[in-house]
Amino acid sequence: MTQHDPVCGMEVEPQSAFAKREHMGQTLYFCSQSCVDQFDKDPHHYVMTSATTGFNPQMSLTRIELPVSGLPLKEHSTHLESTLRAVNGVDEVKVNATTNRLEVQYDAQKVDVSKLVSAVKSIGFQVGGTKVKIGIENLRCASCVKFIEDELKSTQGVLNATVNIATQEATVDYLPQNTTLAELNKAIETWGYKPRQATSDAPVDKQEEAHANEYRKLMNKFWFAAAISVFVMITAYYQVVPVLRDWSMDSLRLLWGVTALLTLPVMFWSGSDFFTGAWASFKHRSANMNTLIALGTGAAWLYSTFAILFPSVFPEGTSEPFYDVVAVVIALVVLGQALELRAKGQSSSAIKKLLGLQAKTARVIRDGKEMDLPVEEVLVGDVIQVRPGEKVPVDGVIVEGSSAVDESMLTGESLPASKKMGDEVIGATINKTGAFKFRTTKVGKDTALAQIVKMVQDAQNSKAPIARLADTVSGYFVPIVMILAVWTFVIWFVIGPQPQLVYALVTSVTVLIIACPCALGLATPMSLMVGIGKGAENGILIRSGEALQTARAIQIVVLDKTGTITKGRPELTDIVISDQPTVKDDELLRLASSVEKVSEHPLAQAIVEGAQARKLELAEVQDFDAIPGHGVSAKVEGRSILIGNLKLMNRENIALGSLEEKSKSLADDGKTPMFIALNGKAAGIIAVADTVKEDSAEAIKALQGMGIEVVMITGDNRRTAEAIARKVGVTRVLAEVLPEDKAKNIQQLQADGKKVAMIGDGINDAPALAQADVGLAIGTGTDVAIEASDITLIKGSLKGVVTAIEVSRATMTNIYQNLVGAFFYNVLGIPVAMGVLFPFLGLLLSPLIAGAAMAFSSVTVVGNANRLRGFKPKFSVK
Amino acid sequence: MSNPQIFVILSGIVLTILITWYFWFAPKAQTRVAVSASGAQEVAITVKGGYTPDVIVVQKGRPVRLTFTRQESSACSEKVLFPDFNQNADLPEGELITLEFTPDKAGEYGFQCQMGMLRGKLIVEEG
Repeated sequence: MTQHDPVCGMEVEPQSAFAKREHMGQTLYFCSQSCVDQFDKDPHHYVMTSATTGFNPQMSLTRIELPVSGLPLKEHSTHLESTLRAVNGVDEVKVNATTNRLEVQYDAQKVDVSKLVSAVKSIGFQVGGTKVKIGIENLRCASCVKFIEDELKSTQGVLNATVNIATQEATVDYLPQNTTLAELNKAIETWGYKPRQATSDAPVDKQEEAHANEYRKLMNKFWFAAAISVFVMITAYYQVVPVLRDWSMDSLRLLWGVTALLTLPVMFWSGSDFFTGAWASFKHRSANMNTLIALGTGAAWLYSTFAILFPSVFPEGTSEPFYDVVAVVIALVVLGQALELRAKGQSSSAIKKLLGLQAKTARVIRDGKEMDLPVEEVLVGDVIQVRPGEKVPVDGVIVEGSSAVDESMLTGESLPASKKMGDEVIGATINKTGAFKFRTTKVGKDTALAQIVKMVQDAQNSKAPIARLADTVSGYFVPIVMILAVWTFVIWFVIGPQPQLVYALVTSVTVLIIACPCALGLATPMSLMVGIGKGAENGILIRSGEALQTARAIQIVVLDKTGTITKGRPELTDIVISDQPTVKDDELLRLASSVEKVSEHPLAQAIVEGAQARKLELAEVQDFDAIPGHGVSAKVEGRSILIGNLKLMNRENIALGSLEEKSKSLADDGKTPMFIALNGKAAGIIAVADTVKEDSAEAIKALQGMGIEVVMITGDNRRTAEAIARKVGVTRVLAEVLPEDKAKNIQQLQADGKKVAMIGDGINDAPALAQADVGLAIGTGTDVAIEASDITLIKGSLKGVVTAIEVSRATMTNIYQNLVGAFFYNVLGIPVAMGVLFPFLGLLLSPLIAGAAMAFSSVTVVGNANRLRGFKPKFSVK
Repeated sequence: MSNPQIFVILSGIVLTILITWYFWFAPKAQTRVAVSASGAQEVAITVKGGYTPDVIVVQKGRPVRLTFTRQESSACSEKVLFPDFNQNADLPEGELITLEFTPDKAGEYGFQCQMGMLRGKLIVEEG
């Protein structure tokens, strides 16, 4: 019987087949060596497709690979295997503990994937699928839900699927390596429904959507309350309304009865949050703004209703209602909440900007085919094609091609970085010139960008120590206001002017309404959110509110030399030719770098790079020999060459002449000179040095201009250290400090009672960073996981330090403004509402004014925090 | 002094005492969290005008799994923060959100919404 080659599909006669293989109980025949080789590489691949593509219709076993996580696989693998084997229809189970994968062969007629998944989950493992929500348009029939669910479940790679008719969404758990979103959409389309994008899962969008809904809701509540308010106001000030002023008291009372009923929906619909919130917190023995508003408006309504029902109980002239207070105050406070919400939305713009950097799709190459996939579906290990001008979708390593990549959005480096095979690329950066393919290493929440976003969000939600004061105050605030309201009532009632009851009630209600614990509570978090977001926009990741607050008060900035002030890697700086030149300087460099190319010394690299920068062609090297502690010797183009230190030259008896003097002056400048001898004669000196970053001096000057003392710390010798310090304008140098003593040096600086910031590269400086009041890590590139630091500068530049302190100062000033404003508002507002000015000026606050003041005090706080969005650093990002 | 005035003064005193006692001095109900089979201390918290339960007692050094359900749309409670543990979570309305961390220090730590209108307390006891 003729068989099909499972690889190429060609017909093969078993007798004349090139080769045969036994696999999963099947005998397979191959037409050629290349087909059998391909099969041997990944036999499952071909047999797996066989079930679906018809190469082998007899076989009913299906095979699936499931990524599992949650428990250590090594210890639990036997348990996992036996559990799965016990499932009816499962044929074979293989657990691969190193790749965290589970291979299951099963009879698709007897068991489906979702059963396998639930078996895996039942013993505590998680199955690492992707979850996606797909919207389904016009999904109305409940019976179709089941059809779509089944269709989705039978799609290859789907672990589970549920369709929610209420939200018109399908939630699908699937293995992105086995299917794509397009396949899932197709499954929905087979039932005649149109898939659409589900409401976004991105937290920021989701929150924005929730805010938009809430805003609409609040505005509806406001307009309703406002409309009623107009009517209520007319009845309240009947004396000035043309027709009403002629009405009799009895008809007016009837009219007031109508307003009493009309204000009920204002209280219990427009103002429902106040009452439910007040009750909920009352049950918890706590009180907040809701309590105050509910008490104030509730008291006004009850008094008014009592007054119109039983006018005779009240003294003459006090039986008039205050329904206007109820309606207007609720309308105003609801409006205030709506405006506050709108203003808040703007504060999270920094996160949105960061998320906006993310590419939406990726061109993934799977099975030799290019396909555009949403970035959420990209897996670790996928190969992705990036063309010029496109965004790099996720993090990875280049496997083919080379290019220049603009990483300024994440590293602040304005020059595009050149990338070749083996180099890392970061998601959200932009490919400039060439095309390349890269293998993904981090996707989803693990990418550098996602981590930055997470870090910023966490920091925005953290607390500045200063907020604790506001917290403590607001913990006692509301009950105190309630007590003040009680005594306001008592005092006005006992010693106030006539009509006492009206005065007592109005003043105590005003006290309840004007007090605004919200402004106090909002003051710090709003500014912190904007400030930390502003930092992120400028490449400064502030890890917490505490770090932000401390950074403001920094008096001493300690800079690590290597890698912080300097670039941290040596560069070729000088070429000196001997007095009797035997070669030109380019030639000297060419010969030296030819030798150094073979050497593994770090300084050698600098020389080779220097030669490459001058586009010199390197020569072949023979007889290379490293002389430990001295240098190297070799033969290049027939000439013997020696490169090394003074000791080497002395050992070889080479007369240096004036070169020795010159080398000393180079060393004085903090450089490392290397002598070169050609054919036993001194030819010159090549010097390399760790050079200062271009903008270090400018940044240090700016710091000093801010009144901050700048100190340099280094393990290097004093001579080199001072040479660098002179260049950048630092006068205080702590040189020859052992790495382990850096923290101790910081401590000594702190002993003078000064706030010290340490800036280092985060790895060997970790103890010092932790010891300092604020540790700033310079993390050039993707290294955002710098745990020891309080602030991470994603740009390598020291200018970030200046900006970090600027951001901190601007934010803290903003917080102080908010706190002082909120504090004074309450400290002044409450006594005025109590009527302390009445005996002197006859001034009393209307509860309506109090409502307006309260509503807009929190809006003001949010508005002031938003002013921070206009913050411009001294050194701009670009 | 008239009778109503005396009545109002006395009421004022009584109310003051009541408010002080109710909000500050009355003992609060505490919810002691049971340790589940998986070893985590699990508790479900409803967010509506406040946190229910709002005083939660857990043991030090064991993971705590708090499942929040926010049953209101008021934007105030859209986030919950545990500043002392540097933990926070967005709470979309109606969704179960799990926050998991291991308290590594004993003591009383507040948790709250972003601007501190809703408050709760996590009491960590030495295990």
